[in-house]
This record gives sequence, structure tokens and C-alpha cells, in this order.
Amino acid sequence: MSEMQLWIAAIEVGCFFALLGLAFLLVWQGTGDFNFAIGPLAMIGALCASWLVVENGYAVWPAVFLGVALVLALSAVVELGVVRPIAARTTHHLPAVIAIAAVLFAIMQGAGVFFGRTSLPGQPLLTIDPLTVAGATLLPSTLLLVVATVVAFVAVLLWARFARSGRLLRAVGNNADAARVLGLPVSRVRLMAFLLAGALAALAGLLYAPKGGIGFDRGLTWTMMGFLVVVVGGTGSLWAPLVAGLLLGSLEIFLPYYFSASTPDYVMLALALVFFAFRPEGLFMKRVRA
Amino acid sequence: MTVVADRTTPDAAVVAPPAARRVSNSLRSLGVAVIGVAVMVAWASQSGFKKDLLLLTGTYALIALGMYVPFVLVGRLSLAYGAYAAIGAYAVALVARETDWPLLTAWVLGALVSAVVGIVLGAATARLSTWYLASATILFSIAFQSWLNDSRDISGGAVGLGGIRSFEVFGWTLTRDQSIYAAAVLVVVVGFLLDRLRLSPWGVTARAIREAPLVVESSGVRVPWMVLIALGLGAGVASLGGSLFTSSVGSITPETFTTQIVFLALFMPLLGGVGTPWGAALGAAIVVQLTLNASSLSNSGTLILALGVILMLLVSPNGLLTLGDRIRKLAHSVTKRGPTDG
Repeated sequence: MSEMQLWIAAIEVGCFFALLGLAFLLVWQGTGDFNFAIGPLAMIGALCASWLVVENGYAVWPAVFLGVALVLALSAVVELGVVRPIAARTTHHLPAVIAIAAVLFAIMQGAGVFFGRTSLPGQPLLTIDPLTVAGATLLPSTLLLVVATVVAFVAVLLWARFARSGRLLRAVGNNADAARVLGLPVSRVRLMAFLLAGALAALAGLLYAPKGGIGFDRGLTWTMMGFLVVVVGGTGSLWAPLVAGLLLGSLEIFLPYYFSASTPDYVMLALALVFFAFRPEGLFMKRVRA
Repeated sequence: MTVVADRTTPDAAVVAPPAARRVSNSLRSLGVAVIGVAVMVAWASQSGFKKDLLLLTGTYALIALGMYVPFVLVGRLSLAYGAYAAIGAYAVALVARETDWPLLTAWVLGALVSAVVGIVLGAATARLSTWYLASATILFSIAFQSWLNDSRDISGGAVGLGGIRSFEVFGWTLTRDQSIYAAAVLVVVVGFLLDRLRLSPWGVTARAIREAPLVVESSGVRVPWMVLIALGLGAGVASLGGSLFTSSVGSITPETFTTQIVFLALFMPLLGGVGTPWGAALGAAIVVQLTLNASSLSNSGTLILALGVILMLLVSPNGLLTLGDRIRKLAHSVTKRGPTDG
């Protein structure tokens, strides 16, 4: 494999991680919580679409539409049906933590039960011939993932800065009580954060699935990667997940090539411990003058 | 540990119930637990498969009891319990194969190594929110499992280690039935000690940290130290679970204790109830029955479990045993009110 081919793979994986990280960051900015169901949500959208196409003979686009709809519905259920009622009933944070873990588990196992436990191929959304860039092959699925990532980041950034709802998201995330006192629609904004994160997760899962297929057991590692992207990047800027995602994507691709298949596992642990111990705020943070 | 306990005595005197009632409370729980364990041992006595399930229940119960200390008492979410159990399990396997030491030393060694790992991971995330500890520990589990698969010379790689000599204490080799009794006694002893710990001044301080760490810190308790001790203690107890598994089954692979077990262990205290450590043990029994014994459910057993946990959190955020308490209180108030109403 040429150096160029490795870089293409690194950018592809990096963009996928970046999208997951952005989904995490949006929920964090809007609610102050980490929605650990992001990974399984990304998984179930892609798995549902592939299952509809492979097992039930659907055309690709209706299947993709249904997959995204399922993810959005589940995101709404997570916030309205699980997180909100439990947080309202107890002042403890442990029940909410366990609830999110249970949701993570339930989505993965539910996907295994309903869509089967065998891996399915991801569905190609762009059917053009592979391009050749500097002697390396650029698959249409890779191109689509990279373009979609850039578009998604620009769109979310513009939305957060200029749209009324985007500014509301940051206001509620900064201080939910103050926002409530000001009469801002806190519950609606929370729901919006969960839905938007769900949409980004669905996008990430659907576009990444053609690379290695999609199975019900992917969700947990994807959740870990998305969270690690937020930890490395920090919560200060919406661009941070893109930088951190590309960084982690490069590690994920280059380390196995030059060392062994499990080197990324060791390096991720070391990286996480170093960041936690010395720079828990991440690479990018907001500096506020006092 | 004693230093911390001494310093917190004035607090504890205010919060904790009188010593006599504490003792009778934990003795009563102990009685119920002994009866429960005896029923399970009797249930398993007729079939080899059920005996395997029972030993697995003991393993899970120890993992859940280990998790109870930092998670339920102090409120810190560590997810490396699969790895801690694996450390205990591999300690037994390695000592059995490489040395002729008594296997009991392996149990102690495994617990010590696990405790050190738990403390190091806790120290790296000491001043951060619980999510950071959760991700550091789960990354450790993943890396540790990869390492077990990789290092064929030490851990036997993906095949694991087998043919481990059976457990013996002071030259007396345990039969299968005896090892089941020993496992039952071990779980009961650990559960009882943790219940005493919960009610001790140390336990009261730990629970206060869960509720209001800043208040406890400002009254002179070194909260980070307390948290690290809890993490180390929990890791050591979970490691005993792994040692129990290897000692009774005689083999171990990297696939035995995966991240999946950690999530199951996360649900166990809640399923049983967070009021006492016995809830964690009860939860372990429920989990084993649901995921392994109910053969018709085996495909969707974990799904039912996860949905059950969510449902229970919605109904009773603090677990089954507290639900029982609430029903009893309700019944009590109804019977009390009865005469005045009618």
C-alpha cells in the first residue's frame, strides 16, 4: 500500500471520528451530558438501511431514509423517555449514568435481535467509478464521507453562530437554570441537541459503513472513539472534533501499518491518560478573561 | 485507612445509627443472605450445569461487589472490572503453571496487582468528572485484552491457559462440591465485610463524598485519597472473582472477561438494589439466570436485561430492594391508617 493510500484511509477514518465527536460535543454543549448512545445510534442507522436493502429488497434511498428516521426516533426516545424522566425523579447522577449505559446496551442488543447478528455490507450512496489520486485509489464512498464531513462542520458552525436556535443551544448548555429563569425553552433545546446529534451519528454511520461492513457489535468502540475525540479536542470550539478526529484517525491507520494490530489500543490508552493527567481541557479551550 | 477513619469519627457520630442497631441490621442482612446462598447451593446440587452456573454466579457476584465500593458508595464509575477479574484469573493460571507456590498466594497477588492498577487509573483522573475515569478504565480494558491476545509467551494468546491444578489449602485439595461451598462462603464473607464497611465511619464518609464531595473535602477529609482507596479496594475484590473462576474451571482465555461483563456488572447493584452490598450479589444471580440459564431467552436475554434496567430506573431509580422497602412502607401506612379510615 502506498503512502498516499494510507493518508486517504487516515482522512476517511478521521472524518468519521470527527462526525461522531461533533455529535458528542453538540449534546454536551446543549445539555452538559455525554450521550454515550451516539456510537450505537450510528451503528443502528446503517445496519437498518443495509438490512432493508439486503434482506428485504428495498431500494437504497428509501432504506437510508428509514434508517435515519429510526435513529432520530431513538434519539428522541432517549431524551424524552429515559434521560428526562429519570433526571427529574432523582437528584443522584448515578441512575442517569446507568440508564445511558443501559440504552447503549439495549440499542446494540436490540439491533442484534431485530437485524441479525451477522455483519452486512454498507450501502453505497454515490455510484461513480473510483478516482485515482497520485497513484492511489479514491473510492466514491470515501469521497462522499469527506465532503459530507466538511459540509456538516461548516453547516453546524454557521448554525451555532448565526441561527437563533444555535445560540439558544449554547445559552442553555452554559447555564440551564439561568436559561430557564430567562424563559428560554430549555426542554425544546435539549431535545433539539439530541436530535441533531442523532442526525450526525446517522450520517456518520451510513457513510462509513461501506468501508468495513456493519454489525451490531460496532456501537461500543464507536462511542469510545467519539468520546476520545471530544477529550482530545476539548470542548472549546466546534472545529476541535475535526482536528482531533483527523489526529486519532491517523493513529488508527498508521500505527497498525508500522507496528502491530493492537498498537492503537495501547497508544489510545496512553494518549487518554496523558491528556487526562496533564491537559484535561483538551487541545482547544475557550479562554475567558476574568 | 485508619487515619482517615479516625478523622471522620465526629461526622459519623452524627450521621450513623447507634452502634448496636448497626450491628443488628447487618446481622439480619447476613442471615437473609446466608439463607439465599443456601437455597442456591441446594438448587445447584443435582446438576453439573447448575453447579457451573453457581460458580459463575459467585464470580459475577464478586465482580459486582467490587464495583459496589467505588460505584455505589463513592459514586465513581470505573469500567475496568473485566480487566481486574482477568488479572485475578491470570494470576492463578500463571502461578499454577510457572511455580509450585500455593494457589492462595496467586489470589493475593492478583488482588494486589488489580488494586495498584485501579489506583493508578484513578490517580490519572483524580480531579476530573466520573466520565473521564469511565473512559480511562474502558480504554485500559480494551488495551489489556489486546495485550492478553498478543503476548502468547505469557498469557497463552487467544487460546488462553488451561490445565490449571485444582485449588488446595494447606495440602488439602478441594473437591468440586467443596469448592462450591467455599465459593459460597467467600461471597457471603466479602458481602458481610462490605456491608460492615458501608456502615463504618469510613463508609459513611464515602457515601457523604458521593452526595457532596466539596462539603466533605472542606471538613478536612482527603477526598482524592478516599476515592483512590475505594477504587483499589473494589479492584482487589473483583480480582478475587477472577481467581475464583480460574480456580474452579481450570482454564482461562482473554474472551472470558470482556467489556460486556462490565456493563452487566454495572446493572447488578441496581437490579438487586443499591441499599446494601447484598443487592449486588442478588443482581449477579438475576443476571446469570437471565443471560445464561433461560435457554429460550439466551438470544435476547441481554436485551431483556437492558430494557428491564431502563424500566426499573423509570419505576424505582434506586433498585429492587428499595422498591421492596417502599412497598413495605406503603403497606405499613395503609394498615396503620386502616382503623381511622374505617
